[in-house]
Amino acid sequence: MYVTFRRYSAAMASSKKTSFGVRVLTWIERSWMFIVFFIGFFLVWEWSVTLFDIPRYILTPPSLVVEKGWADLDRLLYYTYITGSETVIGYVAAVVIGLPLGLAIAFSSILRRTVYPFFVCIEMVPKIAFAPLFISWLGFGLLPKVIIVFLVCFFPIVLNAILAFNSLSEELTRFCRSTGAGPVLSFIKVRLPAAMPQCFVGFKYGAINATVGAAIAEFIGSDQGLGFYIQIVTGNMRPDLAFAGIFFLTLLGLALFGIVTLAERMLIPWHISVRRNKT
Amino acid sequence: MNPLIELTDVAKTFGQGADAVHAFGPVDLTIDDGDFISFLGPSGCGKSTLMLMVAGLLERTSGQIVLGGQPVDGPRTDIGIMFQDNTLVPWRTVRGNIELQLEMRGIDPTSAADRITVLLQSVHLQDFADRFPYELSGGMQQRAAFCQAMVHDPQIMLLDEPLGKLDAMTREQIRTDLQTLWMQQKPTVIFVTHSIEEAVQLSSRVAIITPRPGRVEKIIPIDLPFPRDFEVKNSPEFASYVRDIQEIFRGYGVI
Repeated sequence: MYVTFRRYSAAMASSKKTSFGVRVLTWIERSWMFIVFFIGFFLVWEWSVTLFDIPRYILTPPSLVVEKGWADLDRLLYYTYITGSETVIGYVAAVVIGLPLGLAIAFSSILRRTVYPFFVCIEMVPKIAFAPLFISWLGFGLLPKVIIVFLVCFFPIVLNAILAFNSLSEELTRFCRSTGAGPVLSFIKVRLPAAMPQCFVGFKYGAINATVGAAIAEFIGSDQGLGFYIQIVTGNMRPDLAFAGIFFLTLLGLALFGIVTLAERMLIPWHISVRRNKT
Repeated sequence: MNPLIELTDVAKTFGQGADAVHAFGPVDLTIDDGDFISFLGPSGCGKSTLMLMVAGLLERTSGQIVLGGQPVDGPRTDIGIMFQDNTLVPWRTVRGNIELQLEMRGIDPTSAADRITVLLQSVHLQDFADRFPYELSGGMQQRAAFCQAMVHDPQIMLLDEPLGKLDAMTREQIRTDLQTLWMQQKPTVIFVTHSIEEAVQLSSRVAIITPRPGRVEKIIPIDLPFPRDFEVKNSPEFASYVRDIQEIFRGYGVI
C-alpha cells in the first residue's frame, strides 16, 4: 500500500502544477516518521497519566486538555486576541524602528561609535528584568506589555540590521564604485537586497521571542491575556486549562513566525536559506 | 600605438609609521592601446593592489597614473572590471545582472538588449539568460560576469584572476573564449594571474612582478601568433617562454 501511495504522489508531483492536495501528500510522505512520533508522544502522555495514576491537579491527559479548553474557548480566544495584540504591536514597532535605525548606525560613524556599543551592552542585559519596572511605571494596561515585547525583539533586529548593512562584499562595493552610481542608486540596486537575508535573521529571532516577552510581562502584572490566564488557572490547580493556554500561546508564536517566514520567501526567494527549504 | 595607461613611480604602503608595510612599487609602466598585458607574480606580491590602483578603487601612496590622457583620482567608470569572486548578485538572472551594470550607470537596459544577446552568444550563454547565478556552474558564472564587465563597452578591461577558482578544463575553455573576444573587440586588457601558462597563452606582454614588495622586474613580449590554439601551445617557442619565466621565479625562490 505504501508503495502505491509513493507512486501516486510521485506521479502527481511530476505534473507541472502542484495542487495543495499534492503538496500535503508529499509532505506526509516526507514527514510520516515525525507525524507518527508526534502522535505517539501524546498517546504516551495520555496513557501514562492513567497508568501511573497521576493526580489530575498535577498533570492532565491531553484529551482532558482539549475537552476543558473547548469549554473555555471564549475566554481563551479573547485572551489570545489580547496577547496577540501586545505581541504584534510590540514586534511591528521593533521592526519599523529597528530596521531604519540599524541602517542609520551602519552608515553613520558617529552613531557607530556612540549608540552601537551602547546597544551591544544593553543586549547583554536580560530585557525581561525591566518588566516589573515598566509595570510599576505604566500600570496593568497594554502599553507596558507592548514595550517589553518591543525591547525583547528590538535588539536582535537592530543588531542584525547593522551587521547586514555593513557586510556587503568587497567585490560588490568595488563594483558599485566602478559604475559611478550614487549612494541612493547603489543602495536600492545592491546594498538593500544584499542586506535582506541578514535582516531576516533578526526578524525571525525577534518573532520567536515576541510571545515570550508578552507572556512574561503578563505573568508579572496584568488582568487579562494568555500569560495572566496560565498563571491564574495554575494557581487554581487546573493544569488542563494551563496547557490549553500554552497551546494558544504556541499557536500565536507559530503564526507570527509563519508570517515572517512567508514574507522572507516572498521577498528573497533567491536566498540559499529559502531555496534549501523548497522541494 | 599610443600609450593608453601610464604609471610613473607608483607605490603603495599600507599602514603608517613603524607598522607600515611597503606593499608595492615604485613601478613605471606604459601600456599601449589594444595591449593584452598580464601581471604575473606569486600570491601577495601586490599585483591585485596595482590593478585596483589603476582602476582608482585604491589610493596610491605616491606616483602618478594616467589613463586615456586623464590622471586617475578616484574610481574610473570608463573601464570594465572582473574579480576572482564575481560580482553577480543572486537576486537577478544572468541577463538581469548584465543589465545591472547599465542601470547603475543610468543607461536604459532595453536600449542594449541586442548587445547583451550578442555578448551572451559570444560566451555560449544565450540559453541561460533567464537563469539565476546559483543555477550555473562556476565557469558559466564567470562567463556571465565577463559579459557584465563588458556590456558598457569599456576600452580598458581589468581582470583580477577571473579564472582563479575554476577547474583546469573550464579554465582552458574560457581562456579560448577570452582570446576570441579580445581579438574581435581589441580592448586593452590588464590580466592579473599567477599561472605562467595562462599569461603566456593570452598576453601580448607579460609583466613579471617580484615577491613583496612587488616591483615590475621585467616585461616580456610574447611574440607568438594569435589565436594561440592547441598547435601554438604545443610549440617549442611556447614552451621556451614558459621555461624562461619559470627560471625567473625560481631565481626568487618562489618555485
